[in-house]
Amino acid sequence: MKVLIVEDEKTLAHEIDSFLKKSFYLCDIAHTFKTGLEQLEQNKYDFILIDLSLPDGDGLEILKRAKKNNPDAAYIIITARTQLKDRISGLDLGADDYLAKPFYLLELQSRLQAIARRKFSITEELLSIGEFHIDLPKRVVMFGQEKVELSRKEFDLLSYLLLHKNRVLTRAQLSEHIWGTFVNDDYDSNYIDAHIKNIRKKLNVWADTEWLETVRGVGYRIKK
Amino acid sequence: MKLSTKLTLFITGSKLVIVLLFVLALPFLVKQIASEYTNYTLKQQRKKVLDIVKKNGTDYYFQGEDNYGSYTMLKEEFIALLPVESSLSMDTIKNSQRLIERDTLNYRVLSYTFKDKNKNYLLEIGKTTASINQYNKPLQRFALYVLIILIGLTILIDLTFIRVLIRPLAKIIKTKLINRKFPFKDGQKRVQTSTTDFKYLDESLILLMSQINEAFYKEREFTSNASHELMTPISILQNKMENLLTDETLDEPSSMAIIEMMKTVDRLKNITKSLLLISRIENEQYIRKEQVKPLLLFNEIVEEISHRLEEKHIQIFINVSAEAILEGVNKDLLFQLFFNLIHNAIKFNRNNGEIFITDNYLNNGTYEIMITDTGIGIPKADLPFVFDRFMKTNLEGDVGYGLGLAIVKSIAMYHQIQISVQSEIGEGTTFKIVFPTM
Repeated sequence: MKVLIVEDEKTLAHEIDSFLKKSFYLCDIAHTFKTGLEQLEQNKYDFILIDLSLPDGDGLEILKRAKKNNPDAAYIIITARTQLKDRISGLDLGADDYLAKPFYLLELQSRLQAIARRKFSITEELLSIGEFHIDLPKRVVMFGQEKVELSRKEFDLLSYLLLHKNRVLTRAQLSEHIWGTFVNDDYDSNYIDAHIKNIRKKLNVWADTEWLETVRGVGYRIKK
Repeated sequence: MKLSTKLTLFITGSKLVIVLLFVLALPFLVKQIASEYTNYTLKQQRKKVLDIVKKNGTDYYFQGEDNYGSYTMLKEEFIALLPVESSLSMDTIKNSQRLIERDTLNYRVLSYTFKDKNKNYLLEIGKTTASINQYNKPLQRFALYVLIILIGLTILIDLTFIRVLIRPLAKIIKTKLINRKFPFKDGQKRVQTSTTDFKYLDESLILLMSQINEAFYKEREFTSNASHELMTPISILQNKMENLLTDETLDEPSSMAIIEMMKTVDRLKNITKSLLLISRIENEQYIRKEQVKPLLLFNEIVEEISHRLEEKHIQIFINVSAEAILEGVNKDLLFQLFFNLIHNAIKFNRNNGEIFITDNYLNNGTYEIMITDTGIGIPKADLPFVFDRFMKTNLEGDVGYGLGLAIVKSIAMYHQIQISVQSEIGEGTTFKIVFPTM
């Protein structure tokens, strides 16, 4: 998958680049409006990440023009301007998703995966772990023919861990995913632990869940 | 009491006192005037009689008799002339009785002695007191009517004038003081008036309002700019650590250190996000067009937060009307508002405590929701500041950033919701949320 990162903050662009590289994405970086447009004319990309506030132009303008050359690409807007009107105009212009700074790179990667599944019809929708099957579009967990009742947040947590299996996810990363932009005045919270406890309890009724590991002091991981 | 009411009462009262005094004094006054006037006419008549007598000579009247008398048919007046001893000298006006044709009548009598051809004469001119006082009643009544009409007229004129005079003040109160919404509208109109006191008051108010506005806008701008500017470095820090953590060669102590650092950055991020949220609400960047059923909202929040309730074994009782519906609101913001309040009700509750959520329709058409906990309470001295940013009243344990209630307050202000708090140390706290009439 080829990704273009249009981001004027060099360090940030570099961090995104090095993170995505580990997941085998090929990244190009453009730090300005001008170079961004040049890159877009020269190459075909699967994903284009656009920062809205660029020193020499408006990111929305890039989005508008890029849509002409790269109509099939998926566009994700990244910005500190989480203002409503930007969000609306970005999505109006055909952006696929919107990430407000600061975000976890893991979250960015998940969004890319989600878009890839949707847009490029990559069907790994039926995930399985242990003896459980997870249907992402239908949002259900099945044990054989039996449905396992999970709350909305519990399902989100389980599927997120599963999508990033074999990787330790921190509580902060998990909570950003399930709370999104909701502001929670609760920094040292153990609600992720509470949710995980509930997930284990509900799944243990049917089968063992030793694949869902607690990594002491760090977070959780699904090992497969 | 309003100034205009006070002035009206004062004017009407003072005029009534005058009327009362006048009514009390009127019989006496009228009597006095009638008596003075009678004396005056009697004296005039005396002069005329004396003139005629002088012209005709006294003998003309006596014609052999020893006195002369003349009276009208109704005996209301009489004139008598009689010779008296030369030593007698009189010039009086008195009330006395006279017998005329067998009728004894009360008269006001002028007695006057004068000399004519070396003889002394007494002239008496009388007027019945009944005839003197016959005009008293109608006169009194007439005077009273005139007075009442005049007083009524002056009251009317005074009140009209007062209204005109005070109108600018009423306008200042109406446009600048009552129902003022913060932040104030820009370009407040001056109230037209020629009264310098009002002009001064109005200008001072406009100046104060614009100064408050300016301070508010500056603070708002600062919060927005500062939190935006902080977001990029926080992003960089956060992403750098995230990348570091994915490094397979990292040993456990280093990983733990990075995790701790990430927690701190996360805290920084959440504070900044909270400030940004407040500044976005203050900048009115949310749409208020949704309908929300409070009951559904509470059920949703309780589902989200149930693990916390279970953790402290807190029971929550929701007694909210299923029909209640809030219109013209932003659902996400209201969710945040009630989430924060319920979250606090849990956080500052005791183990095995309770939370009550109740609602109420008030007589004036407003709708209120009350959230009561059985927690540790807030000290009286801290109550006025609980909605301030970074205000932490209870410093024990996990207290958060001190922005939860500041967010609540800004959401409430944005929806014109009145929010108040009552608390008793050791007993619990109640937050009352009053929605404006829909």
